[in-house]
Parts: sequence; C-alpha cells; structure tokens
Amino acid sequence: MSAAKVRVLALALCAGAAAAGLLAQGFPPPIASYQITCRLDAEKKALEANEVLTWKNTTARPAATLRFHLYLNAFQNTLSTFWRESGGDHRDGALPESWGSVEVTRMTGPDGADLLPALRFIAPDDGNPNDRTVAEVILPRPVQPGETISVALDFAAKLPRVSVRTGYKDDFFMVAQWFPKIGVLEEGGWNCHQFHAQSEFFSDFGNYDVSIDVPARYKGRVGATGERVEERETSAGRVLYRFRQAAVHDFAWTADPSYLVLEDTFREAGLGDVRLHLYLQPEHADQAQRYFGAAKAALSGYGRILGAYPYPTLSIVDPPWGAHGAGGMEYPTLITGGTAWSDPRSVLRPEGVTVHEAGHQFFYGLLASNEFEEAWLDEGFNTYMCDRVLKAVYGANHVDLDVFGLHFPLGIDIHYPLDANLRYFDVADWDVLASDSWKFRNRRSYGGQVYSKTALTLATLERLLGTPMMDKALRLYADRWRFRHPKTRDFIACVNDATGADWTWFFDRTFFSSGIVDYAMAQADSVPAKAPLGLFEKDGKLSPEPPAALARARGYDSVVTVIRRGDVAMPVDVLLRFEGDRVYRSHWDGEARWKRFRVTSGPRLIEAVVDPDEKILLDADETNNGSQPEPDLRAATRWTTRAVFWVQNMIDFMTVAW
Amino acid sequence: MVSRGPRALRCFLRGLGLSLSKPYLAIALWLIQLMLAAALILPIGNQLHALLDRSPSGAKMVAVPDYSWWETVRRVHPDVLGNFPEIATGLLSPEGIPWSKLPGMLGVGATAFSLAILAIVLHAFALGGTLGALREPSSSLVTFGREGMRRMPAFLVFTFAAWGAAFAAYQWIYVGSGVALRSRVRDLHTEQAALAVTGLRLLALALALAVIKLLADSVRTVWVARPDLPPVSRFLFGIGGAVARPLRLFGILGMYAVTTLGLYLIWLVLDPSAGGEARLALGPLIITQQVFVFVRLLIKIGYYAGISEALTRAPSPEYSYVAAETPAPAEPSAT
Repeated sequence: MSAAKVRVLALALCAGAAAAGLLAQGFPPPIASYQITCRLDAEKKALEANEVLTWKNTTARPAATLRFHLYLNAFQNTLSTFWRESGGDHRDGALPESWGSVEVTRMTGPDGADLLPALRFIAPDDGNPNDRTVAEVILPRPVQPGETISVALDFAAKLPRVSVRTGYKDDFFMVAQWFPKIGVLEEGGWNCHQFHAQSEFFSDFGNYDVSIDVPARYKGRVGATGERVEERETSAGRVLYRFRQAAVHDFAWTADPSYLVLEDTFREAGLGDVRLHLYLQPEHADQAQRYFGAAKAALSGYGRILGAYPYPTLSIVDPPWGAHGAGGMEYPTLITGGTAWSDPRSVLRPEGVTVHEAGHQFFYGLLASNEFEEAWLDEGFNTYMCDRVLKAVYGANHVDLDVFGLHFPLGIDIHYPLDANLRYFDVADWDVLASDSWKFRNRRSYGGQVYSKTALTLATLERLLGTPMMDKALRLYADRWRFRHPKTRDFIACVNDATGADWTWFFDRTFFSSGIVDYAMAQADSVPAKAPLGLFEKDGKLSPEPPAALARARGYDSVVTVIRRGDVAMPVDVLLRFEGDRVYRSHWDGEARWKRFRVTSGPRLIEAVVDPDEKILLDADETNNGSQPEPDLRAATRWTTRAVFWVQNMIDFMTVAW
Repeated sequence: MVSRGPRALRCFLRGLGLSLSKPYLAIALWLIQLMLAAALILPIGNQLHALLDRSPSGAKMVAVPDYSWWETVRRVHPDVLGNFPEIATGLLSPEGIPWSKLPGMLGVGATAFSLAILAIVLHAFALGGTLGALREPSSSLVTFGREGMRRMPAFLVFTFAAWGAAFAAYQWIYVGSGVALRSRVRDLHTEQAALAVTGLRLLALALALAVIKLLADSVRTVWVARPDLPPVSRFLFGIGGAVARPLRLFGILGMYAVTTLGLYLIWLVLDPSAGGEARLALGPLIITQQVFVFVRLLIKIGYYAGISEALTRAPSPEYSYVAAETPAPAEPSAT
C-alpha cells in the first residue's frame, strides 16, 4: 500500500471516527464546514484570512455553481442594497460613514483549479448592479449529488465602525458576518439572498475550526463561537486563539482589552451542564448576575419545553458604550446583550435581551429556519418563548422614564405577553406576516409583524389549545426539525399532529393574513321589566287584561349585543354577569358580524364581556370588550384629578420662570 | 463688622414672611392656574369618563394605570393626545426636542400650546399685580388687580422677551450642543462619561436660564419700584440691579429652587395618590393636592418678595428704590 493511500485511509478513518462521535452527541453530518485562520490588524481595523470550505451537495441535482455571501460588502458604499433600503439609518441610529468590505483574493477549487476568474457578483433579490453581497462562481465541473468538495480562499476584510451588528469601536471588535460563506443549496436551486436592511441570515450546519491571531493586549479577552481549544503566543506581541464547534451554522467572535471575563455554570437535571462566559464592560460590573441569571433562565425555560441545549458553552458579550449596534444579536453559542449603566433592577432590559438572544440558540440555532424568507419562525417564535420565560421567572417588566440618559422606574407594569407586544397593533394591517423580510413596508412594520404579531398569535394559540397541548406541539416541532431547516408548513403540521385536529384555518387567518381581530360589546342594557300591554286571550276572547301570571312585571330585561368589528373571525366566549353572582357564559364561533343575547325578567345585568379570559390576544382594541349598564365613575374621576394636579404643576413650572 | 445689606437667606426668609402676610396673592395665582388647568383637563376628563365609566377595565384602574389600556387609547384615539407624550419625553432626553415636532401636536398637545400662550399673558398680569401689591404695606386683592393691569403692557413685553431668550438658550445651548457633540459622545469610552457631558450641557442651560430669569425679575422689580424714572432708565437700572448683586440674587433663586424641589420630593415620597382608594378617598386627595399647590405658590410669592427685598430694601445712592414703608430700624451701634 502506498504512503498516499495510507494517508487517505487514515484521514477517512479519522473522519469516520469524528462523524461517529458527532452522531453520538446527536449532531448531524456536516454540510458546510469551515477551517479559517485570520489575523486582526487592530489599528487598521482589518483582517487577513484564509479559509477552507468543505461542502457537500445534499440535493438530488448536480451543482454547476457555488454561491457565497460576502456580507461585509453591504458596508462598502451607499449604493449597496443594505444602504439603499436602510436609508442610512438602522439599529443604532444614523449609520456612520465608516466603510467595510470583504475581498476574495484567491479561490481554488477541487483539483487546485483557480476559481477566482469565474467569480462574479450577482443580485438575485433586487438586481442592484452595485450590490456586492452575493457572489457566484462557475465550477469547472458540477458537484454531483452526495459529493463533497473543498474550496480554499484567501480574503481580506475591512471592518466598519459598528452600527449594524458587526464592526469596531475603539479597541472593541465584534466580528460577525465576516467570512465568505456559502449559501444553502435547495432542490430548487441556491438560496443565497443579498444583505438587506430588514433581514438576517440562513446557512447550513457544519463544523467550524477557527484560529484568531490578535495583538497581545487582547490576551484573555477574546470570545467566540464554540470552545476555546488553544491559546498560544505567536510572533512578538501577538496571541493566537483557536475555537472549534461542531454542528453550527455561523461563527462570530469578539475582542476587547477592557472586558471583564467572568464564568459561571448552568446546571439542571436532564438539561446537562453549560459553561457560561460573560464578556462584560467594567462599568456594568454590578450587572453580571443579571446577565448570568437571565442566561440560565433561558437555558432552563427553553430546554424544558424544546429539549436540552446541546453545546457545552454559551458566551455572552456586553458591548461598550457607543457600540449598541452590536448588541441584541445571536450567533451560535455566542450572543450579545445590552444594558445601560443606570438600568433599574425592576426594568428588565439586560434580562429581556439576554433571554431573547439565548433563546435564539433554539429558534435559529437548532431550528435553523430561513431568516430571509420566514423571519417569524425564529424572531417571532423566540419572542413568544422569551415572553413565557420572562413572565415565569421575573413576573412583569416595568416602564422606565429616560431623564437625560438616566433611567428611572415609573411603577407601571408591562405584562407579558400582551403589553410587551403592543407595537403589533400600530401596524396590524400594514403587511401580511408571511412575507420576505425585506419586503415589509418598513422596519416598524417588520418589527411589529415578525416579532410581536407572531408572539401574540402563538400566545393566542396556546390559550385556545391549553398550555400542555401547546408544549406538546412545540416539542414535536423541536424534535422533528432539530439541526434542520423547518418551514411554516412544518410547524403547522406539528400542531395538527400534536392536537389531532386541523388548525390550518387559524394560521390562514393570522400568519397568512393582514386582517384585524376586534370584537366589541356594542350594547349591554338592563332595564326593569314592564308589564305586558295589548290584547290577551282570556276565555277564548281577546281582552286588554293580561293573564294573572304575566300581569306583574318582574326583574329586568337585559339585551347584550356583541359585534365583530375586525375582518378576522376567532372563536370567543361571552360572559354575562348578573346580580346575585349569577353568571351566564356562552361560546360563539365569532363568524357572524354580531350576536345578540336577551334575558327577560331576569336579575339585573352587572357586566357583559366578550373574551373574558383574554384568550384572543390579537384583539386590536381590548378597551371595547366589555360594558356595564351602571357606570362606575371612580377611575376616570381619580385620573382626572391627578391630571388637573400635574397640569397645575406644569403651568407653574412654565410660568415660574421666565 | 456689620452687614450693610440683606443677605440672600435673610431676603428669602423675609420674602416668605411677606408672602404669608399676603395670602391672597397665592390664592390669586392658585385660581389662575386652576382655571387654566381646568380648561385643558375638561376634554381629557370627559374622554376618560367615556372610556372608563362603563368599562370593566375601570375598576382595575382606580389605583394604577393599565399600560395596555393606556397604549390602546393612545392608538385608537390619536386625536386626543397627538404626539404630546413624545414631546414631553423628548424634552427630558439628551437630544432635546426639535421644533419640527411641534406641528404634529393634536388634541391635548395643541390645547396645551394655546394655553401656554394664555398662561404667559396671565403670568405677566399676575407678576405685575404681585410685585405691585408687595410694595404696598396695606394692599388687597384689589391692589393686585389694579397693579396687574397697570403693569401689563410692559410686563408682557418682558415676559415674552424672557420666554424668547429661554427658548433660544434651550435651542442653542442644549439642543445645539447635543447635535454638535452627538458623534463625539458616541465615541466616548463609557456611558458614564456620556452622562457627564449631558450633565455639563444641562448645567450650562440651567445657568443661562437662571441668568435670564434673574435679569427679567430684576427689571420687573425695578420697573415697579421706580415709577419716577423714564422707561429706558428703569430697564437699565433693572439690568444694573441684577449685575450688581449676582450672588445675592442667585442665592435667593437657589433657595427657592431647593425649597420647591424639596417640596416635590416630599410629595413623590409620600405619593398621596398612590394605591387608589386604599390610601386617600377622593375628597381628601383633592384637598391634599390643592394644599400642596397652594404651599408651592406661597413659596413662589416668597421668592418674588425676596428678590424685591434684595433689590430695593438696601438703598444704593445711585439707583435703588427707597422703601416707602416704615424706615428700617437703626443698626445697633458697634461697641
């Protein structure tokens, strides 16, 4: 046997052993794996790197081309699709005029073929000739179904001043969407969208092995996706870190010489142990336990319903002042948080962000849906679960008042999930939820629909199904689609399978509709019953005297009319409460435009409420859901009194002065 | 060594004494403010009654506001509040509020803006009446009205000019510095440093507003005190009075601010309106609120009396007004 054959056999054995190890952990076979070595020039805010991509064609068709995301080119100039769509404004306000780019300087394919001359930029979504965020390369020969190929690249990346997830601020680096990344090949062709202002990402699972060479001042203060397997000093004044992680679909890293690096462990029976690394800004040192507590709450709350978090580590990054654009973002096994120095304990800002981003390890990390095309499957589902965890662990959030940059609690509760998602109602009929991310009317509509409408829709479904049944459906979905790319129809199938009923109508009216739900109490009257008037049969003749049994009026005549003001029908309960604690409850399918309830000669009506248990959280106007015949002036009078008092004070403040 | 003139604390305390001796002045201001507030609140109160009286939500909201209800009302009835909440919170933000937001005011916001104009007019009247009545040993509400009307044309000019200067200071010092420093503040290393910059901007604004206020109050005081001088001289003497006694006037203003802030602090800590009916019934609550307003107005009158004392009690041979009332007691002879 020749030496070459021995090496190939040894490699095959190693690969086989590694694959067997991964499968033992429940990890899937890799589709797109990366081995990257990069060197950070902290002064020039630039990276020099080489990358080896190992990619397998898992479709039934040969692949004649490869498509790559070059996300950093979204920051190349104001002609990119991202800049055009954002209008120069994004998560951290106005985008700074700081440019970023990624340039492939070498690309060799299987058999050492030079692929670079065949590389060209394309714009599959909008045809923008100036957008450089997707590149296609034509292969010398197609990759056959089941075949695995390797592509080697050299690339140079320039990082922008951080404003949208990735970049630098002073010595702080959040390096994300930074390397040439292959798209997802589906049976219908490449799914490789441009970088849009309103969308996130989509890619295949694989194994990552990344070495990061940084200046020595960053020693001990580099965090990344996966487990750190190596730390060594290289040339003078530099340190190299190596991170590895199997079965993930992205890789991000961070470095900041200011970080306080803290560790803790999440441990819960049945959910395994997870080492938590916190990369914290010194001015937030007193909030470390808030971050750790929230991360543990997420791993526990999500894990109990969706199954255990499968990776050994989770890193939490706290971006510095002026780099908020890097905050509130998820990457596999690494998340970025967000807080303010003066955030009161009762205002769940770091907790809310951390639980949400940690929750993305499930909805995005494990259930790797297409964020370009079905963003609600990760952002919306995650918001729903995040609200559940926050409610269970922390109760209610609280409104805070920002006074010249300092935050003060106002003592007003924000209840989960309804209060936390009210922004949906501002944009309820602006878009159909089931739309491509970049096709929403604007960012406000995207946020209100994708995050909040989905969360309220799922919370409504939970109330209609009952929590145990909802959890059963979610678990079925998580088990069935873990480490895969689920679509909306797959979740609906899981709901139908779990419940044994067809709930497609529910999703047609919510996910696939821009219609509004609004039930209202149009009438709730209760008046003393009157004696009947007219002609009545008596001894075979008509007489003006009513029969004795009817002659005396008794009780009250009550009329209640419930109307459906919205386009979308939902099943609702109607509750009528009468004097003497007598309650009448009726279920209405909600299909007709109105329904009337009459009670004659009964007890006096105290209150009539549609959807008394507040199951239909998508109801656009809850203030019209009930009515009581007898007015109660207390609340309005009290708030009017308060208003008079504070307006008096405001007038005094205005006239105190000048 | 014997002090030749009243110091700030003495002036302020004497002013408070004068205010207490003429409570009708505070009553007059209280009525004016109540009238203005009522005009603004009536539509809000009616709207609240329409929304809450027959709603099952009403019973839940006697004590605490319901966030969801409030936000729903804002959304469903945009004509009631308009962008008033955004303007109010914008005023408290590090960026300040741009003028371009003002045309978006609807309902309460627009009414409040109109009433603010009316308030300025009434304020000019009330200040004329207050300063005039304070100078007469035996004055009454009639004196207040007479003096208010008599001084109104000049005081309107002073008040509008002072308001204009205050708005300009807000725009140029606070908003302007915020715009100019925005990117630099984001470049700062920590949030605490950014807060410190905002604090310095606020301090500069507060200083400018205090200077504007003291100049305006000084001119008003001398205007009332020296009717014998021609208008231009009165105006210049007023400016000179403030320039000549800056520490004393700042001292009085500082004591006024601290006392008023202390009063608000006590109110916020005790919070009589919290807890709904569990703490105070409606009647006692209204009385408590109005007593608070009245006490605050007594302090306010005390401030103006203190300023009047500081500027006119110790005669200066060049320009100060010699008090017409009983002569000051002779200084004890130093031994």
